[in-house]
Amino acid sequence: MASDPKSRLDLYALSFRLPILVWQALFFVGPLAFMLAMSFFDVKNYRMVETFELKAWERMLTRGYVWDSYFLTLGRAALAALVASLVAFPAAWLLAFRASETQRRWAIFLLVIPFFTSYLVRTFSWLVILAESGVVNAGLGAFGLGPYTMLNTGFGTLVGYLTLVLPLVLILQTVTLAHIDPRLPAAARNLGCPPGRVIWEVVLPLAKTGLVVAALFAFILSFGDFVAPYYLGGSKPPTLPILIIDTTKSGQQWPRAAVVAVMMMLTLFAIAFASIAFAYRKRASK
Amino acid sequence: MSEPLVTLRDVVKRYDDFTAVKRMNLEIGAGEFVAIMGPSGCGKTTTLRMLAGLEAPTEGEVVIDGRVMNDVPVHERDTPLVWQSLALFPFLNARENVEFGLKMRAVAPGARRKKALEWLDRLGIAEFAERNVETLSGGQRQRVALARSLITEPRLLLLDEPLSALDAHLVIRMQGVLTRLQRELGITFVHVTHSQSEAFAMADRVVIMSRGEIAQVGAPRDIYRAPANRFVAEFVGRNNIIAGTVAPVGPGFGLLRVDTPLGPFDVVADDAPRPPGEAAVFVVGADRVEIGREPRPGAVPCTLISEEFIGSVVTLFLEAPDGTELKVQAQERALAALDAGSGGAFHLSWSPQEAHLLPPGA
Repeated sequence: MASDPKSRLDLYALSFRLPILVWQALFFVGPLAFMLAMSFFDVKNYRMVETFELKAWERMLTRGYVWDSYFLTLGRAALAALVASLVAFPAAWLLAFRASETQRRWAIFLLVIPFFTSYLVRTFSWLVILAESGVVNAGLGAFGLGPYTMLNTGFGTLVGYLTLVLPLVLILQTVTLAHIDPRLPAAARNLGCPPGRVIWEVVLPLAKTGLVVAALFAFILSFGDFVAPYYLGGSKPPTLPILIIDTTKSGQQWPRAAVVAVMMMLTLFAIAFASIAFAYRKRASK
Repeated sequence: MSEPLVTLRDVVKRYDDFTAVKRMNLEIGAGEFVAIMGPSGCGKTTTLRMLAGLEAPTEGEVVIDGRVMNDVPVHERDTPLVWQSLALFPFLNARENVEFGLKMRAVAPGARRKKALEWLDRLGIAEFAERNVETLSGGQRQRVALARSLITEPRLLLLDEPLSALDAHLVIRMQGVLTRLQRELGITFVHVTHSQSEAFAMADRVVIMSRGEIAQVGAPRDIYRAPANRFVAEFVGRNNIIAGTVAPVGPGFGLLRVDTPLGPFDVVADDAPRPPGEAAVFVVGADRVEIGREPRPGAVPCTLISEEFIGSVVTLFLEAPDGTELKVQAQERALAALDAGSGGAFHLSWSPQEAHLLPPGA
């Protein structure tokens, strides 16, 4: 034997993996570390000074408006995840259990189409629909109702979030439900479970992982979204992404913006970790 | 039979362009163990699903306990089904699976827990009550599924090939469990299977289905000895099916002579009119054929093609001079004396009493 085949194979494999590792280090871990470092910098005369101080942290964590913004964002993203999950579920159920294989394929294809168009463009189209003199109010006006203010409200923000996440949540839920063994709901009915209760007793427990992951995606996307709260929500009160923009614009406060960004990252890590742990939790076998 | 528990009256099940069950009529008595048997696609599972309400008959009536069930939804029937896949709920442990039916009947948690543990104990798996069902063995899961179906003490239990996924030795053991339970509880069992040994070992009556129709209904022994038609004769057991024509002159004494390519054979006559020259088919069980090395009057000379050894019983496949294949089943011990391995001629014969005439046209 001339050479050890194992070490040669490792080099070969590494030559393929190395670019990805370098890419990750350069463009993901690097910026993240820099952002964390930046949150400890200082700003003097509108210039950033590279030091290690807790000034930005102290400032942001002691201001009520930051926490208002934090819980507003948290609440609205959670609401978007909840509403998207609830609205999508009946449709996903129909597609998974009532539609034929062909119909389901077409539905999923059609649900992908919204992603062809920029989210920004889709959001702008809501302006026309939701405006004071828009399509919805014109329709309601025909019945002597309204006009209602829908833009620059929490409702507008929610509509924007749903525009972003609903197709995705519906696709994820449909795929999850379609993978359920149809004999299990049938077995439940055979044991005396009425059809409505089958959803609660059998379908939800079986689909738990997929449903939680779908809701988690909706939460993550909404939590970090800048477009919906800015254009449809009127940016007041600001959500965290808007707060970041505002902070950087006023007085070059990049360290304070970095603090908000790190807060968001940590929140997402915690929620993603908890959700996945819950989604995949198997019953303990004694 | 006393008042039947289940009656299928002119039941038809059609899918778009396929008729799964064609005008089926069947009565099943209370406390009976009925096996429905047939090849894949014969309509046996569809019949079972119609009893459970998982399929609605296209025509006809399904009557259970005197009540027409056609429009009764699945969850309002008390016809638990033991699924081929078992269909245990993976998110519940063994005990919770068993409790499910009582939970649906709003039995208090304490009471249903007690009942579930009793059933698990009765089936010998009490120690696994709190185990995740996915960690149980095939036989244990089977018992969980049985307990889950029986806990509501139904009058009718439906079984859809529940033993088909088990190892051979477990099948035998579960057959024992099922027959014992059925006797103790006095519940009517309707067991769908494609396995003859399963059906014959357990059932009081066997229903043989073919292409959506009942081919024969009867006690296992009757079906085995007196198949009603060619399909049953071929489907059940190892039978030699011999076709010929009624000979011009009969031997009398209640016997009928049939001329066949293998020679003339006398068989016990049936009540049907048998004019000479008409086609006649008779069946001889492979285990009723006598085999020897010496030529005998009326015996068919054959050569050995192959043998199938399954333990104490051996099946020999032989060929008659005209190419007809004949089967002989015998104890391995008895065949050892014949020295089958050395080749040469064998001579087969059977007594007229062992030949069963199929009805004309069957």
